Amino acid sequence: MAAYPGTSQSDFIASIRRALGRPGLDAVEPLSPRAGDGLEELEARALEVSNRLKESRTSLVSRLAETAALRGWHVHRVTQSEAAVGVVVDVARSVGAQRVARSGQDVFSEIPVDEALGNAGLGVAAAVMGDGRDRDGVRQDIIRANMGITGVDYAVAETGSVVVVPRAGLSRLVSLVPPVHLALVRPGDVVESLDDVFLLRRLEYLQKGGDMGSYLNFITGPSRTADIEQTIVIGVHGPKEVHMVLLDEHSYEV
Amino acid sequence: MPAVQTRDFIPASSISIRDPQLRRALQRVGAGFDGARREAIEEVSPEAWESWREEARAVKAHTLDHLDYYLEMLTRNVERNGGQVHFAVDAAEANAIVSSIVQARGVQVVTKGKSMVSEELDLNHVLEAAGVEVYETDLGEYIIQLAGETPSHLVAPALHKTKEQVAQLFADKLGVPYNDDIEEMARVARTALRDKFLAADMGISGANFLIADTGSLVIITNEGNGRLCTSAPRIHVGIAGMEKVIPSLENLALFLRLLPRSATGQRITSYLSMVSGPRRKADEDGPEEFHLVIVDNGRSRLLADPKLREALYCIRCGACLNICPVYQKVGGHAYGWVYPGPIGSIVTPELVGLKEAKDLPFASSLCGACREACPVKINIPRMLLHLRGQLKESPAPEVRSATRGERLLARGFAAVMSRPALLALGRKAARALQVPFARGGRIARVPFPPFSQWGRSRDLPSIPSRSFRDVWDRELSSPRRNGR
Repeated sequence: MAAYPGTSQSDFIASIRRALGRPGLDAVEPLSPRAGDGLEELEARALEVSNRLKESRTSLVSRLAETAALRGWHVHRVTQSEAAVGVVVDVARSVGAQRVARSGQDVFSEIPVDEALGNAGLGVAAAVMGDGRDRDGVRQDIIRANMGITGVDYAVAETGSVVVVPRAGLSRLVSLVPPVHLALVRPGDVVESLDDVFLLRRLEYLQKGGDMGSYLNFITGPSRTADIEQTIVIGVHGPKEVHMVLLDEHSYEV
Repeated sequence: MPAVQTRDFIPASSISIRDPQLRRALQRVGAGFDGARREAIEEVSPEAWESWREEARAVKAHTLDHLDYYLEMLTRNVERNGGQVHFAVDAAEANAIVSSIVQARGVQVVTKGKSMVSEELDLNHVLEAAGVEVYETDLGEYIIQLAGETPSHLVAPALHKTKEQVAQLFADKLGVPYNDDIEEMARVARTALRDKFLAADMGISGANFLIADTGSLVIITNEGNGRLCTSAPRIHVGIAGMEKVIPSLENLALFLRLLPRSATGQRITSYLSMVSGPRRKADEDGPEEFHLVIVDNGRSRLLADPKLREALYCIRCGACLNICPVYQKVGGHAYGWVYPGPIGSIVTPELVGLKEAKDLPFASSLCGACREACPVKINIPRMLLHLRGQLKESPAPEVRSATRGERLLARGFAAVMSRPALLALGRKAARALQVPFARGGRIARVPFPPFSQWGRSRDLPSIPSRSFRDVWDRELSSPRRNGR
């Protein structure tokens, strides 16, 4: 490993201790029970959360639909996976997508979009490595696409956000580079609040012995800016148009 | 460090206060950002907002009191995630660290997300001098970079520019036809920067928060540029002031509720990107390397002074700028360095040296609006007063801004104000002495020091024929009225 310039960690920490006016580490009482929680407490709290989410799922899905619409998503509520596929094709047609890039998440086994998009005369590429395609090939597929489709790991009713974490087959760029993003949200993905997401991620972090994946991305509506005269413009570096296809719970009760 | 022009606050503000375009731009700050902030608070209810502020303040206070502990925890966890942590005591070290990564990895093109700390380092110029192409990618920062200027606001760096000025700038620098349609200009920037994003070897970002217990860096953006900078290039370098750390991922939701609402009134920004190290083996893409540069650059001076430590609680929302009657009149550039407005008037003197920034602690009416707007309840007026006291009473002559006469006068004033009999006497004397100077209830000028200096930019209300005390004694305090 290259030696970089800068101050060593021990010297830097020592200078902070001098500023704080003490020679060594002080006993740190955790701020609240939360921040100091270990695995057992977190598991107990996560169980409470998942019970609460199960009980309130129907209302949470409705609340998510409302909040997401306020934050600029086009929300499509469907009750069956065939209907979800139909919405995907309609959206792709309406935005004039010639090429579609989708992630390789497992949601596409429930909502098989490839054939329907192909039948509609649209090219679709799964942005996944393998079968002779390397990282660069995947990247080029995404850059060429007019529309990106992904599943999500969480959808947050409080904020109208979808959350993605690294999964096999999920490029970071599918939801970011094409001008249109469509997110497929299943009822089981919906959580109530930001706190729920962070609790569940922290639990996974501890369960996996200190690895929660390289990123956690929240997406809330389209890309926007107000940097010129505080006038809002939709669509700068990220997608200008975002769609949320929201499956209702009873589609899973079948 | 970028040029420090804080000594010129008074001449610079006298010029900017007469700039009609700047005045229009600054009016939008109050009406736009601050109005939206108030609406957002009403929506969540003022009671809930107050309890969030208290809680956030407690988290910040706790973290800074144990900053050594949380920085060590952060470092351990960033390293466990596969990232490298670097420590820089000053700007020169931080720049040397980034330059050496650039050199070791053969970096030619850098895309940057918005980062105030990098402004503090003047990093762009350092990298450009080393032959690297550097592109700011936040639209406001991009405009500022093309214009060769510095940001004038913490969250809206190009706030001082009109759309006509931006259109002309784009025509001059990018060779596009002049078009002052704002949507079109955003499209031009998108097109110009898209190739840079994909060609960049290195993305540099700031950090809104660093999370100790998971070793993560959090940035929030609306444009998506921050996500692109941290996703597309093969190297990601995050640069952050050491005060950005919070203990746990579970503290984050609180700050995410406070920050966008305080900054622009938004409930949440379009993107929140949390980075925990470089890409893992199974990831489809993402940077191969992640470096985190933790910067002191004068912050430990704030940390060491218990009276100023709370300035480090700042989450850089800009709410205190948007509401400040001084900022609203003079704009950000007059303050002469990276951090403008009320919080800048505390941070800047400690970072560039009090003797360089003698006027900044006085750039406030002490009305207290900044403290009320602050999402972490920083007591800005108290610290401004503290710095004023340091300046006036400093034993070091190059720091001390008060003349001998002014200090004597202030002592005399304090002695009189604390003795009611002396005060009554003083009032009578002053009433007689003010006669040649008082006009229409105000004293605009007294032609000898220290009054003449004080009066250069202020009017003093003249002493009325009947003081409040007189009115109180004769009318208000009588038992008859009190008894009713």
